[in-house]
Amino acid sequence: MTARPLPFGDERHLLVHQWLVDEAYLLDAQDYAAWLDLMTDDVRYVMPVRVTTGRAAGFDSAPGMAHFDEDRYSLGRRVARFATEHAWTEDPPSRLRHFVTNVRTFATDSADELLAESAVLLFRSRGDVRESALLSAGRRDVLRRTAAGLRLAHRTITVDESVLRMQNLAVFL
Amino acid sequence: MDDPADLTTVLADVRRGMIPAHVYNDEEIFRLEAQRIFARSWVFLAHESEIPAPGDYVVRRILDDSFIVVRDEHGAVHALFNMCLHRGMQVCRAELGNASHFRCPYHGWSYRNDGRLVGLPFHREAYGGDAGFRRSDQRLLPAPALDTYNGLVFASLDPDAPPLREFLGDFVFYLDYYTRQSPSGIELRGPQRWRIKANWKIGAENFAGDMYHTPHTHTSVVEIGLFREPKAEKRKDGCTYWAGSGGGTTYKLPPGDLRERLRYVGYPDVMIDKMLREWSPAQRAVIGEDGFMVSAASVFPNLSFVHNWPKVGESDDVLPFISLRQWQPVGPDETEVLSWFAVDKEAPEEFKALSYKAYLMCFGSSGMFEQDDVENWVSLTSTAAGTMARRLLLNSRMGLLADDEPVVAPLEWSGAGTAYVGYGEYNQRALLARWADCLETPVRTPSAVGFGTGS
Ligand code: FES
Ligand SMILES: [Fe+2]
Repeated sequence: MTARPLPFGDERHLLVHQWLVDEAYLLDAQDYAAWLDLMTDDVRYVMPVRVTTGRAAGFDSAPGMAHFDEDRYSLGRRVARFATEHAWTEDPPSRLRHFVTNVRTFATDSADELLAESAVLLFRSRGDVRESALLSAGRRDVLRRTAAGLRLAHRTITVDESVLRMQNLAVFL
Repeated sequence: MDDPADLTTVLADVRRGMIPAHVYNDEEIFRLEAQRIFARSWVFLAHESEIPAPGDYVVRRILDDSFIVVRDEHGAVHALFNMCLHRGMQVCRAELGNASHFRCPYHGWSYRNDGRLVGLPFHREAYGGDAGFRRSDQRLLPAPALDTYNGLVFASLDPDAPPLREFLGDFVFYLDYYTRQSPSGIELRGPQRWRIKANWKIGAENFAGDMYHTPHTHTSVVEIGLFREPKAEKRKDGCTYWAGSGGGTTYKLPPGDLRERLRYVGYPDVMIDKMLREWSPAQRAVIGEDGFMVSAASVFPNLSFVHNWPKVGESDDVLPFISLRQWQPVGPDETEVLSWFAVDKEAPEEFKALSYKAYLMCFGSSGMFEQDDVENWVSLTSTAAGTMARRLLLNSRMGLLADDEPVVAPLEWSGAGTAYVGYGEYNQRALLARWADCLETPVRTPSAVGFGTGS
C-alpha cells in the first residue's frame, strides 16, 4: 500500500475501525445471520492458499486455488448450514475470539468506498482438553457506504500459514 | 523393527472385521506402518499437470521423505530426494516453482533439474578433483521407483515394487472416470493443505466405502438444499465396489440412458461426447445400463477421490466436481490433508469455474461436507489412545452374516471387481486386509548408497 492511510482521528477511519470491531463481535458470537447482513449483494470473500516460493518467483499463493472463494450465494449456504441442527462440526460450538488490530483506512477513487487493512488473529478452542488452534491473517477489505451503513463488498484474507493448523474452516475471518 | 507382541492377534481381529480401536492411535503401529506400508506401496506424489513446463517442480513428501517432483529440460519427470549429497541440506526449500538448477544453500553444490550434480565449488582444491570426488554422473538420489497412470505420478520407496499398473490392478477401470474424461485427462489445482488430529486410515476407509455415514453426517448439507442425493433412501441404492488396490462408492441414478444420466449429474454435451469416446463399452455400461455413478473412492494406502454434483446457484441445476485428496500421515494421531480440485482439461471454461465453486463449497479446508467428516475423525482418534480402546474391538462387519456370508449377493454388473448394493463395510475390510498383509511382512532394507568416492 503506497498511498497514505487516513489519520487515526479521521471520521472515516473511526467509522471503519468501529465496523471491524463490531464485526469481530458478531463472528465471536457466531451470529452469522447478522454477519451476513453486513455483506453487499455482490460481495466477494476470498482466502487464497498461500505457498512457500523463492523470493524471485513473483507469487506466494497457489495459482487458481483458494480456501474460500465465495459470493453471496455460497456464503448464504454456509450460514444456513450453521443454522440447521445438524452442523456437527460446530455442535458443541467452538469458543472463538477474533483479535483485530493494525487497522489502517484508505480513501479510494470512489467516494462511496473505503479500503481497510487489518490483521486478525483467531483463537479457536473446541471441547475441554483438545489443543486450541490459532489462525493469523491479514485482511484487505473494500467497505461500501449504503443507506444502512457500511457494507463489506470485497475481502481478501491473506493467511500466514501454508499448511493450516486448524481442523477445518468452519469459521470466518 | 520387531513386531509388537500382540501384532498377530491384532491382524487376525482386523481380518475378521473386528478392529482393535487402538490401531487408530498407536505409536507402535504407526512406526510399523511407516516401514511396511509407506516404504513399500506406491504413493501418490503429484499430477503431471502441476508441472507442465520444463523446470516446473513441486515438493512433496512420503511421510518424512521430501521429494522434488520436477520436469527436466527434455520433458521427463523425476522425483529427487530433497537432500544434498554433501552434508544433507535440503536443496529446495520452496513448495513449488520453476528452476533449471537447484543450488544447495549450505556450500553451493548445484544440481541440474534432472538431478545431475553440475557444480561443486573448489572441486580441485578441496578434493583434488575427480581423484578425491568423482563429480561426473552423480545425481540427487531418485525415488527408488517412479511411474505414472493418466498423469498421476506415484513413487515407491521399494526398488522391487511391482509395476504401478500391476499394483493398481482393476481399480484403473474406475480411475478413468475421475482422470480420463477426454484424451487430455485432468488438470489439478491446489492442493489446499491442513493438519487434522486424526489417524490417516480413517479418511482412507471412509472414502473407500462408507456410504452409511452420508445420510447422517451430512444431513445439514441436504437440509440447506445444496445437495439432493444423500437422503438415506437414495444412498443405500448405490453400490460399493472393490477392484485391485482400491474401491469406492456409487449413487444409483434415475432411469435414462448414458447421455441422460451424465446430463443428470450436470455434464454438458461437449464433455459427454468425449467421455463416450474415451470410455470402454464396460465403463459406459456401468452408467448407461447399470445406472451407477462413481462418487467417493480410495486407493491403498492413502489416496482418495470424490465426485459429487451439488447446486452451485439459486437455480435447481447441479454441477459435478472432482477432488483428489491424500491423507499424509504425520503421526499416529495427526494427518496432513492435501486436497486438490481436478477438472477435465478440455472442459469449457465456464464449466471449470462452476465446478471449482462446487468443490469449494463441498470439500477441502472449508468444504461443508469435509467439515463434519473431520470433526468425527478427530473425535474418534482422540478416544482411541487409551487403555479401554485396547480392549474394544470395533465392529466393522456390516454386510456380513455371522458365518461370513454376505447379506446380499454380489452385484451382477459391467463394473470391474466385486460389488454389492447397499450399506456394507466390504471396502473398509478390503482396505484393512491390505493393511494387515503389509504389516505382517517385513520390508527388505536396501543397502545404503554413497557417492563420489571409491568405485
Ligand atoms: S550440504 Fe549441500 S553443499 Fe554442502
Ligand atoms: Fe463424508
